[in-house]
Amino acid sequence: MKRNNDRIQKSETRKESLIDSLRLPKDICMGAMKITLTGNREAWIENYRGILEYTECQILLQGRTCQVCFEGSRLSIDYYTNEDMKISGCISCVKYI
Amino acid sequence: MIKFLKYMKGYLRVRIQGFSPERFMNLCSNKGILLWDIVREGDAYCMNITLKGFWEIRPIVKKTGTRVAILERYGLPFFLPKLLKRKMFVAGLILAVGFWLVSSLFIWDIRLTGNYQITDDVFRSFLEENQVKIGMRRDTLDIEELEKQIRRQFPQITWASARLDGVRLLIDIKENDAPIQEQKPQTIPGTDLVADYNGRVVSIIVRSGVPKVAIGDTVEKGTILVEGKVPVYNEDTTVREYRYVDADADIILEHAAEFTAELPLTHTEKRYTGREKSIHYIKLGDRSWALPQNRPFLVYDAVIRESRPLMLERLDLPAFLGTVTYREYQNTEYLYTEEEAKAHLNQKLMDFLAELDEKGVQIIEKDVRIEKGTDAWALTGQFLVQEPVGERAETERIEVNETEADG
Repeated sequence: MKRNNDRIQKSETRKESLIDSLRLPKDICMGAMKITLTGNREAWIENYRGILEYTECQILLQGRTCQVCFEGSRLSIDYYTNEDMKISGCISCVKYI
Repeated sequence: MIKFLKYMKGYLRVRIQGFSPERFMNLCSNKGILLWDIVREGDAYCMNITLKGFWEIRPIVKKTGTRVAILERYGLPFFLPKLLKRKMFVAGLILAVGFWLVSSLFIWDIRLTGNYQITDDVFRSFLEENQVKIGMRRDTLDIEELEKQIRRQFPQITWASARLDGVRLLIDIKENDAPIQEQKPQTIPGTDLVADYNGRVVSIIVRSGVPKVAIGDTVEKGTILVEGKVPVYNEDTTVREYRYVDADADIILEHAAEFTAELPLTHTEKRYTGREKSIHYIKLGDRSWALPQNRPFLVYDAVIRESRPLMLERLDLPAFLGTVTYREYQNTEYLYTEEEAKAHLNQKLMDFLAELDEKGVQIIEKDVRIEKGTDAWALTGQFLVQEPVGERAETERIEVNETEADG
């Protein structure tokens, strides 16, 4: 198991260095989620797959490689499209699972 | 801007309830349906969805097993049918737009600028003669012809420009500042200068003609001062012929002048009783409407105030609101006090003196008295003045006998 993990890590680093040297945008090539936070009030999220869970104090998003969890209070989704979404409310924690 | 577009296209507020609202949202975003203002309320979600998106969510709803309830409808697609149901409103709207379109075909205001000598009234009547008036159709107005007509009618206008600004006709003119040179009728020269008054010649400077008087001479009214008949002598000092000229000279005559003025002992003054009545009226173009009213007072005067509401002025509609205020008064007779009478008479005297001054008359001696008569105040003034004189008169023409002259 540990060996397998190591292998994945190695291939990731190799991919990253390749993308770095080719100067390609990382968020698109690696399928990473792009999160822009404005203070703790607003968050713009791009490059996600969908919502897994949405309550007033927790929003769980599915990305391509990982899941991201926003915790806080009075969370609401201002808009939600295929490309991006905006979360507003009082964000207290952003967690990668 | 985005809000406006959303409003134009229409959107709904819906409540999603059921097994997996998150899945519903993900499917919506995959299909490219915009969702916004998503708020969780208990176990349900409330969100806004575009009208177009709403028609496409039926398969998603079936797939996810959720229930959709419409809470509210927003936007023009919902508002318009409601509006169209109100027939009178729609009719009013169409009529208003129609009225607006039709009224913009006419001229509602004429403004004239740049006129100093020509009064507005004169110009207005000129325009009326040329069939240019308020309420005429815009397309019947030939602006170039009007400009030509203005220049033809008023020779003192050197430049005229007319233009239409919306429903307003702006006429801009420029008048000639220099006085117009009047063509003097051609006359055969030959005029004398004669005395206007009885008096004594104080100074005489002759530019053309033959002087007949000298400084210090006493003349009577009508005496020839400078003759416009210049004799040309033969060698033997007989007159060969006369050359006729227009006599021209500066002659100052000293003469006595008199000024009298009278002022009645009493005068009537309006004394307002303070009682006022006012009526209001509406004026459209040349016609006005007011509530009928009897003679308000026995003796009264009226003050008319007319104003145009700001909105109507912007729209250039010739509509006015007016008020006529009738003020009652009584005619009361007053006696002039001595100070008042003197002030009035002195004013008259001052006016007379100013008039003399304008004519270039110098006053040498002055003797003024104010007296109270039986029925009036009287001012008598004796003056000794020096005044430029010289009235033109046709000179006497003498035919010189040629043979006699030759002899």
